[in-house]
Amino acid sequence: MSARKPYVRPMDGWWRRNPFFMRYMVREASAVFLAIYAVILLAGVFRLSQGAAAYEAWLAALTNPLAIVFHGIALLAVAYHAYTWWKVMPKTLPMLHLAGRRIPEIALSAGGWAATLAASLVVYVLVRGV
Amino acid sequence: MADTEKIIEIEVLRYRPEQEQEPVLQTYRVPFTDDMSVLQGLQYIKDYLDGTVSFRWSCRMAICGSCGMMIDGKPKLSCKTFLREYYPGKLRVEALAHFPIERDLVVGIEDFIGKLESIKPYIIPREPRALEQGEYLQTPAQRDQYEQYSSCINCLLCYAACPQYGLNPGFTGPAALALLHRYNADSRDQGWEARREVVNSEEGVWRCMLVGYCSEVCPKGVDPAHAINQNKVNSTLDYFGVLKFLLPKGAAK
Amino acid sequence: MQTVKADVVIVGAGGAGLRAAIAVAQADPTLNVALISKVYPMRSHTVAAEGGAAAVTRADDHLDHHFNDTVHGGDWLCEQDVVEYFVAHAHEEMVQMEHWGCPWSRKEDGHANVRAFGGMKIERTWFAADKTGFHMLHTLFQTSIKYPSIKRFDEHFCVELVVEDGRIQGAVVIEIATGEFRLIQAKAVIIATGGAGRVFRENTNGGIVTGDGMALAYRHGVPLRDMEFMQYHPTCMPRTGLLFTEACRGEGGFLLNKDGYRYLQDYGLGPPDPSPRNKAMELGPRDRLSQAFWHEQQKGRTIDGPFGSVVNLDLRHLGEAKLRERLPQIYELAEEFMGVDPAHTPIPVLPAVHYTMGGILADGKTASPLPGLYSVGECSSVGIHGANRLGSNSLTELCVFGKVAGIEAAKFAKSVAISNPAAIEKQAEAAQARALGIVNKSGGTERVAVLRTEMAKSMESGCGIYRLGATMQATCDKIDELRQRYKNLKLDDRSKAWNTEWLLAIELGYLLEVAQAIVYSAINRKESRGSHQRLDGYEQRDDANYLKHSLAYYAGDGAPRIEYGDVKITKSKPGTRAYGAAGEKAEQEERESEGAGNG
Repeated sequence: MSARKPYVRPMDGWWRRNPFFMRYMVREASAVFLAIYAVILLAGVFRLSQGAAAYEAWLAALTNPLAIVFHGIALLAVAYHAYTWWKVMPKTLPMLHLAGRRIPEIALSAGGWAATLAASLVVYVLVRGV
Repeated sequence: MADTEKIIEIEVLRYRPEQEQEPVLQTYRVPFTDDMSVLQGLQYIKDYLDGTVSFRWSCRMAICGSCGMMIDGKPKLSCKTFLREYYPGKLRVEALAHFPIERDLVVGIEDFIGKLESIKPYIIPREPRALEQGEYLQTPAQRDQYEQYSSCINCLLCYAACPQYGLNPGFTGPAALALLHRYNADSRDQGWEARREVVNSEEGVWRCMLVGYCSEVCPKGVDPAHAINQNKVNSTLDYFGVLKFLLPKGAAK
Repeated sequence: MQTVKADVVIVGAGGAGLRAAIAVAQADPTLNVALISKVYPMRSHTVAAEGGAAAVTRADDHLDHHFNDTVHGGDWLCEQDVVEYFVAHAHEEMVQMEHWGCPWSRKEDGHANVRAFGGMKIERTWFAADKTGFHMLHTLFQTSIKYPSIKRFDEHFCVELVVEDGRIQGAVVIEIATGEFRLIQAKAVIIATGGAGRVFRENTNGGIVTGDGMALAYRHGVPLRDMEFMQYHPTCMPRTGLLFTEACRGEGGFLLNKDGYRYLQDYGLGPPDPSPRNKAMELGPRDRLSQAFWHEQQKGRTIDGPFGSVVNLDLRHLGEAKLRERLPQIYELAEEFMGVDPAHTPIPVLPAVHYTMGGILADGKTASPLPGLYSVGECSSVGIHGANRLGSNSLTELCVFGKVAGIEAAKFAKSVAISNPAAIEKQAEAAQARALGIVNKSGGTERVAVLRTEMAKSMESGCGIYRLGATMQATCDKIDELRQRYKNLKLDDRSKAWNTEWLLAIELGYLLEVAQAIVYSAINRKESRGSHQRLDGYEQRDDANYLKHSLAYYAGDGAPRIEYGDVKITKSKPGTRAYGAAGEKAEQEERESEGAGNG
């Protein structure tokens, strides 16, 4: 009878044990908001295909106070999602070099954040202009 | 010893398989000076307070990889973590997470060793070369492609950091996959073909959820998250049969 | 007790043991290799070596130069025929390592780069950043995985060698995880267990460097040769003793005393050039540099630090970029352990024990006088280091002689058979009983750590850089006393699974045996040579009486018997070790006299 008796520690509540893991779970959860928002937008496109009245009804539903609260939270969630997405994106690329020097990951992420902000600004201006 | 000598409380998660059913915390009061590491604190406990505390250590300079443990819940090398950072509070020292505890701060790492052996961690030469012909030529730029991934000291902090490994111990894991990439990326090695099954499998790169904590805790800057996730692209291209058109003959990216 | 049958047993899976295992596997894949190590192979202390591995490479270099550098560096106590073999086979081993994937640092054209190192006339040290030992060890370990005939026994602690019918026939090990004993039958055994630096207080060594294999062979009547020669590495971290590689000086670092003066010029190593000059100043041999420190300390010109006297290793003029590229590990060590940024502040350093030149008596084929027993690496004295080792010769040694040991052990294993299994088992049972006696003993009063600390302090005092008969005698007496007190150990831990206090106690036994061999060899060598320097009337080298190897023979409870053996001289007659300007002058004169002879 061997004296060995390895003890396996339970994983329950693992993500609560470390702030890094908490932030990871929030990052993953933000995708849920992104998904729900995508469904709402798809619903809008569908309503548009059904004619002006259907589309106006969809727009009116969006002015409901609950809808506004949801959109507020979703905006924060999607912004966090975009921030964290660009943060880890460089891990999916091979090592990149420019003029013989390695391009640091933060430069790639910063480029992504800048592009996201720029695109958001363009869309905002376009929508406001309509 | 002076009256003004500082004492720090170190809480150690004990586990003696012949005595206990479950691990239990035990606190020790350790006199220390600012230059002392957690490892030196543990050595003081073993030498003078309680000879029954077991832990692995050797080089004391963060290169042998023996002394990984959880210090206040974070995976660290005890030789490179200093008591002064926790004073005047107490610190809690536990065995590395996601591994079975054999005894006190000692975990069983046979699973990792098996995975290390399974990734073919040796050069599978792209071209044959006799010793008389001298060394393969490899420019500093080519060497830079893999050097970072070759710096892994097998300390396993990354496995302790990876919740996926804790939840699914079949996962090949950060250090093993980083070492796999080290060989694929070495210009002297054949690359992709020999190791594609490990990479492409469910327990290969696809088990990784890019939590990224592994790269955060790595004491040597290996960045296993990078090694794994850049291969997700390669794996996808391989799945669609187009990777071979993008790689030079017999070589890997 | 479980019995395992193997053809070749290798105790120790560091660079030497792994290289030997691969050599056996390549020589004959049908031979079973049992590779035993008390730690996982990547933890072996080879991993901490930093600087590099020497091999004649450049077109303007020559085997004779490497040979001469080594023999001069060893103060003529080297086995010259073995050194000739060594230098001739160094380059092919470095290429072999490269073929196995070792990430050697490269020149722009893709060839392996070589750098300057202490006591070497021409740049010939192959290096992998400043982590050469790490890269070599991991390359060898990972390559060894290719060979199915190598069966590893990771975390198995060797407590005894089995000798029967006048030859080695096995090893007895403890499986650390369970505390169970195993007998591993073998037809040949290679010991590759490393040095014994932990007998001293301040050392660069890891906790595992406890002279295990040396003590085991010694107890079976194999002499330990030249044990008095312990190398003090001149640039180590105060208190911990951690190593700052010689490569710091190869890349151009200076050693400064408290006046900011490059003091080495006062000790026959000058004149001081602003850039590194081979075999001069900071690139002199390690024994000379450590001795210079001691003299500066006597003159009150060292700096008083919180952990004793230090000097400054000044790397500032190299600049941060070069430091981060060539010496990244050094940078990290200084910053993280000492809070010193070497690009802006000099690093306080002092000499600490680093390497054991002596060891198990081994001939040029690594064979010991005990048939079937071979030894390789720091644990062995194959004869290339003599009285002082040159930096970067020992990593090369692991490869050159690791291969030899593997081939020789394979040949021997094929020529014999296990003779008397029952007798071997009986010996194994006895070894088990002895080892269990340590952990099960009742009524003891001595603590492992107390005895270990007393030993280490005494060795530091008696066997330091400079030695005196009186203090060596005090250390002899102290070690004798500690060996007696060792019989009265009391352990806190009586368990079986992962009882590391028990293993530390067994290691302490090994350390005390080796310490005794060191100090008795030292007190009996009445001369100064290489790293054994005396200040008590024996300040000069005495070739007439002491151009000989010391051989320490185990004598049970009593003091070891010290005998002497001849040194093999072939091409290089003992001369003066001259470095710096004096060295260049001596070489010039030698060349002129050779030229005159040929004319």
